[in-house]
Amino acid sequence: MDPRQRPLLHRRLGAFKVLAWGLVILLVLIYAWLQLVRHGEFQQLAMQQAVKVRPLPAPRGLVLDRNGYRLVDNRRALHLVIQREDLPTKLEVVTALAAALELDAEALARKIQSYRMAGKGRPLVLKENLDEAGIAIAERVRARFPFLSMEVAPRRVYLGDELAGHVLGYVGEVDEELMKAKPGVFRLGETIGKEGFEASGNEKLKGVDGQKRILVDQLGTEVANFGQVDATAGRSLFLTLDAGLQKVAQDALGQEAGAVVVLDLRDGGVLALYSSPSYDPNLFLNRLSQDMVDRYLANNVTRPMVDRAIQGIYAPGSTFKLLVALAGLEKGVITPQTPIYCSGRKNFYGRDFRCDKPTGHGSLSMVQAIAQSCDVYFYELASRLDIDDIYATAEKYGLTERTGIDLPQEKRSRIPSRAWKRKASPRDPKWYAGETISVGIGQGAVGVTPLGLARFYALLATRGKLLTPHLFYGFRSDQKSELEPAPVPLFKETGLDPQNWAILDEGLYEVVRGGTAAASALKEITMVGKTGTAQVATFVDKSHYARQAKKLKDHALFAGYAPREKPQIAFAVVVENAGFGASSAAPVAKKLVQYWFLDRLANPLPPPRGKLVDPFAPPAQAEAPE
Amino acid sequence: MRERFRALDPRLLWVILALMALGTLTLFSAGRNTPQAGIWLKQSLWNLLGMLLMLLLASMDPRRIFRYSFPAYLVGLVALAAVLVVGRKIGGSTRWFMIAGQTFQPSELMKWVTLLYVSQRLGSRNADTVDRLELLGAVGLVVFPMLLIQRQPDLGMALSFLPILLIIPLMKGLRARWVVALLLLIGVGGFGAWKFGLKPYQKQRVLIFLDPSADLRGKGYQVNQSRIAIGSGGLIGKGFTSGSQTQLNFLPVKTTDFAFSAWAEERGFLGVLLALGLFGLLLGRILDAALAAHTHAEAYFCAGAAGIFALHLLVNVGMVAGALPNKGMVLPFFSAGGSSTLSFFLALGLIMGILHRSRVK
Repeated sequence: MDPRQRPLLHRRLGAFKVLAWGLVILLVLIYAWLQLVRHGEFQQLAMQQAVKVRPLPAPRGLVLDRNGYRLVDNRRALHLVIQREDLPTKLEVVTALAAALELDAEALARKIQSYRMAGKGRPLVLKENLDEAGIAIAERVRARFPFLSMEVAPRRVYLGDELAGHVLGYVGEVDEELMKAKPGVFRLGETIGKEGFEASGNEKLKGVDGQKRILVDQLGTEVANFGQVDATAGRSLFLTLDAGLQKVAQDALGQEAGAVVVLDLRDGGVLALYSSPSYDPNLFLNRLSQDMVDRYLANNVTRPMVDRAIQGIYAPGSTFKLLVALAGLEKGVITPQTPIYCSGRKNFYGRDFRCDKPTGHGSLSMVQAIAQSCDVYFYELASRLDIDDIYATAEKYGLTERTGIDLPQEKRSRIPSRAWKRKASPRDPKWYAGETISVGIGQGAVGVTPLGLARFYALLATRGKLLTPHLFYGFRSDQKSELEPAPVPLFKETGLDPQNWAILDEGLYEVVRGGTAAASALKEITMVGKTGTAQVATFVDKSHYARQAKKLKDHALFAGYAPREKPQIAFAVVVENAGFGASSAAPVAKKLVQYWFLDRLANPLPPPRGKLVDPFAPPAQAEAPE
Repeated sequence: MRERFRALDPRLLWVILALMALGTLTLFSAGRNTPQAGIWLKQSLWNLLGMLLMLLLASMDPRRIFRYSFPAYLVGLVALAAVLVVGRKIGGSTRWFMIAGQTFQPSELMKWVTLLYVSQRLGSRNADTVDRLELLGAVGLVVFPMLLIQRQPDLGMALSFLPILLIIPLMKGLRARWVVALLLLIGVGGFGAWKFGLKPYQKQRVLIFLDPSADLRGKGYQVNQSRIAIGSGGLIGKGFTSGSQTQLNFLPVKTTDFAFSAWAEERGFLGVLLALGLFGLLLGRILDAALAAHTHAEAYFCAGAAGIFALHLLVNVGMVAGALPNKGMVLPFFSAGGSSTLSFFLALGLIMGILHRSRVK
C-alpha cells in the first residue's frame, strides 16, 4: 500500500506539522519575553558586569622638615590584591588561599565578607610591599588562584627610620571601628594616618582619589577606558622640625628612655620632639603582619609606643620650683630677698622633710635657693601657700591645660588642687597640708609632660608669652621647594611681672653659671635652665639607693632656654631612671644648644637616609635639600 | 553531475544555506579574539564536506540506502562499544575516537543509523497497526544504543534518541491516546515525586545518576550569563561583533552549546525570529518529504528526522534561554562540531533523495 494513500499517516503528519510550528512559536514567545519585556533588566545586568568604576588612589603628600629634607617619601610598591568583583565566594577557596599565603583563614574570610558587603572601594590587599622573593611567591600563588592580581601603588617610606617615629606616626588601612564611629567619612580599604602627624595631618596629606570607568572582560582585564578623573595628589607639608637637631636629641638620649622637646620661641614651632625608645614607622606598613604587634605593642617593658614627650607624666622635681617661687611672689608671701635658713632638714606637721644637701645650705635668698636647688627653702615657701594658690598660678601660666600641639592623644599635665583630690581619690578626698610641702619641690601628686614643661620654660624665656607648640610649618607650594607658611597659632600674654621674671631669670642663670648644672655651661652661648630629680621610689639612705635596680632610680630632668640675652629656643629633657638631673639631663640639653647655635651653621648633619632599599630606585644618588 | 544537482530540493536547500550563513556569522563573531578565532573557517569546511555528502546521498536511490541499514546498525553498536574501551576521555566522559587529529563522535551518526534501521523494520510490516512484539523490538533497538551512550556518559545524546521511539510507532498507527496517557503519567508522576516525594539529597542522587558529569552549581552561572546575553540583545541586537556578553567572554562555551545566545545578543529578537522561522521552514519541508515519500520506511525516517531536529531545537534554544534544564544538546548549523554537522547533512541528503524520488516517479 502506498503510504501517500494512507489517511492515518496523513492526519498524523499534518498534526506533527502543526506541532512543529507550535514549537517554533513557543520559542519565539520565550525570546520575546526575555528580549522585549525584560530587556531593560538584562541590559542593566550586562552593563553592570562589563562596566566598572575603579578608584585611582591619590599619592599622599610628602612630609619635609623645616629645611626641606624629606622625612616621609613615597615610593612604588607591589601589592598582591583581589579586585572587588573577583572576591571568592567559596569557603574552601578562601581557606586554600589563606593556606597558600600563610594567612589566618578566619580573618581573611571575615575581611572578604566585609569587602563584599561594602559597595565601592579599594581592592582588598593580601600582601603588601612585595620584595623579590615575595613577588616570586605571589606569582606562584596567582597561578592557582587566577582572581588575584598585582597592583603597583604608592608606598610610604619613613626616611629617618626611628628618628621621628612618634612625631610622624604611620599610615594604615582604616579599621572597622573607626568606620563605624565616623560613618560616611572613610571608604573601606582607604589608607589613613594612624598615629602621629600622619594622623593629625591626615586631611592635609591625603589628597583626592580619582576614578576611571573601564570596560572589563570576564577575567576583569581592562579592555577599554571610558574616561577617568585623575587623582589629585595630597600636598606636601613642611614640619617645624629640624632633622639635624632631632638627630642630636636621638643620639644624646641613646639607649636611655626619656624625652626631648625643643621649641622655637618665635612662634612655638617644635624644633625637636623625641621620645626614647622610638619606633620605626616602616615596620607598621605591612597590614596583616603580626610581627610588629609582638615587637611593639606587647613589649610593655620599655613601652616604645608611648610618646613620652606628650604622654609621659613625670614628677617635675626641682624644675617645678620656679612655678612655686612665682606663686609665692605673686601671692606676696615672700620677697626675693626674704632669707630662709636651711639646716638640711625641717619638720612640718610632725614630719621631717630633708634637703638634698644633708649639711644644709645656710641662709638663702630666692636666687640662691634656685641656683642651689635648696629643698628646705621651697618647703618653707610651700608651707606659706595653699595648694589652690599653686594651682591658680599653674593655671595662669598654662600648665594645667594641654599645650594644643597638633599631635593626637596629648596628655594634660597633672597639677593637684583640692578639687582634683576630691575627684582623683574619692576614698580620701581631703587635701592634707603636708602634701603641699612635697608639691613645693615638684614631688608628690604633681606630674608634667615634657612638652608642658618646655612650654612653661618657653613662657619664662619670652617673659610671659604662652605659645602653642606646633609641628605644621607650611605647605610646599609646588614641586619646587617654596614654602607657603601656615598661619602661626596665636599666643597669649599672661602678664608676667617683669620684676618677678628678672628674679627667675637670674636664678636660672646662676644654676648653669655656678649652681647645680655648672658642668654643662657653654663658653659661647649662655644657656640657662633648671635641673630636676624626680623620685621614683623612697629610700632610707644613699648607699641603699645606689644598689637599687635601674628601674627604681630617679628620673633626671633639665628645662631651660638659650641664649639668656635674647632667647631663641626653650627645651625640656627627661632621662628616665638616670639619677641626678645635673649629671644626665643637663648634658643632653648642652648638646642641643651646642648643635643649634654652633654646629648647625658650621657643620650641619646630613639629611635622613634610612635603611630601606627601594627595589625600583635607580642607583643611589646624593639627595639635595628640596 | 548535473543529474546529481537536480536531486537537490531547492526549497530545502535554500533554508539550509540560509541557516548555514547565520551559523557561520555567529561562529565568526563568537570566536573573535579568542583562541578559537578560526573556528568559523573550520566549521565552513565541515559544512562544505557535509554538503558534498548530502549531494551524494540525495542522488542515490533511498531504497539502496535502506538496504544497508541493518549492517550499518551493527557497525554502529560495535563502534559505541569500542569507544568505551579505546575512546578519548575529555572532561570526564569517553565519547570520542581520535582519527587523524580530529575527534569523531560515533553516537552522532548512530542516532541517524538507528532511526534508519527502525524505520526500515517498522516500514516493512503492516501499516496502521502496531503489534506488541513489534513495539518491543523497536524499544529494544533504540534503548540498547541509548544505554551504551549513557555509559560514556552523555545524557543529552541518549535523550536525543527518544523521538525515534515516540514518533515512528505513532506514525505507524499506535493509538495516540496511549502515548498521551503514557506521557501524562510520566510527567505528572515524575513531577509529583520530585516535588513531594523526594528529599533534597535524593534529588541530588537522581540528578547525579542521570548525569554524573553535571556541575549543578557551575551550570547555573552559564545559563544566567546566557539569559543576560539574550535579554540584553533587545529587539534589534547590539550589532554584529558588538555583543558585550559574547565579546568580553561573559558568555560561556559560546561556539558550541551557547552559540545561539551569541546570535540572539548581537542580532536581537529580529535575528531570533529569522533563525526560528528558518528552523520552522526546515521542519515543515522535512515533514513535506514524509508526506511525499513512496515507502512507509521513507516516511517514518523523515518524520523521525523532523522529531530529532525539533528536539535539538527545543532543548538547545530553550536551554540557553533558561526555560529547560541545562542538557548539552547542539543546535544544528549553529553549534560548531564535525561529527554532528556531517550527521545532520547525511540525514538531510537522504531526505532530499526521498523528495527527489517522489518528484521523479
